[in-house]
Amino acid sequence: MKGNKGRDDERPSIPKIDKTIHEPARLMIMAHLFVVESADFLFLQRQTELTWGNLSSHLSKLENAGYVAIEKEFLDKKPHTTLHLTDKGRTAFQEYRKSMKQVFEDLPE
Amino acid sequence: MTEKINLKKIERKAYTSYHQDGLIDVFAGFFMLSFGLMLILDMAWMGWILWFVGISAYAAAKRVFTIPRIGFVKFAPHRAKAVVTSALIVVSLFALLGVVAFMQTEGGGTPLWLVFAAENYMLVIGVSVAASFCVVGYTFRTKRMYAYALLTLIMFVTGHFLYFPLYYYMTLLGTLILLTGLTLLIRFVRRYRLSTTGSMGDSGNEGQ
Repeated sequence: MKGNKGRDDERPSIPKIDKTIHEPARLMIMAHLFVVESADFLFLQRQTELTWGNLSSHLSKLENAGYVAIEKEFLDKKPHTTLHLTDKGRTAFQEYRKSMKQVFEDLPE
Repeated sequence: MTEKINLKKIERKAYTSYHQDGLIDVFAGFFMLSFGLMLILDMAWMGWILWFVGISAYAAAKRVFTIPRIGFVKFAPHRAKAVVTSALIVVSLFALLGVVAFMQTEGGGTPLWLVFAAENYMLVIGVSVAASFCVVGYTFRTKRMYAYALLTLIMFVTGHFLYFPLYYYMTLLGTLILLTGLTLLIRFVRRYRLSTTGSMGDSGNEGQ
């Protein structure tokens, strides 16, 4: 145990990475929503090239984490879903970017 | 996902994808063609009315062709500001054109630079239209607008020396741009099919 602790000290200080954002598909969703004010489901699907089911399931996870707000309404009697990053989501994404930069900066050459 | 996440690139891609429908080309071509036709019919003033009608028609066409196919997005405020600035630049350029056109028809008792501009009206119009295309191209990140600008310059500079009437160039250029826009629109409509089950994104009523 003591030896392990010693080795831990020598490792680069890897910050805690947000696993909700770290998943590739969710990272793409977060990145796309980060650069716009809001977008609808169709736009996000076209941009990320994810399938309907995949996008829907990842959005649910992001919504549960409080990162994405999903607003459903009817436009011309058709269902319409608008998505945008919450303040918490924006902050989490910024933190994630910082953390990832930190990870690579801390790695030895 | 091994590629680097480049936020600027993502935003630019999203923005340009919103203007790949060819609608800007269709409307620019339509305006130039109608303006040329109005000159033939000696009703140039109608061309200015078309501008105002066209802006609302453009917004309606976006709702009919673009949004149902690639979805709706609200870009960051700096994009909206850039569009307003570009619109102001283009309107100012065309207001200048209006002054030149007025000078050309009325003449007499005016500053020398305006007389010079009126005498070389083909060059003034050519440069103004080309500059407008450049502004639109820069604002909407559409490279083909620069090609239109170059084409406009070539046609109007040539026109300055050939002494063909203005409407000849306006209608020819308008037709070319309109046809390009229609081709792009058809390609866009074929590429992005309409969802048969309404807007996507609501659980249970859409397939993959």
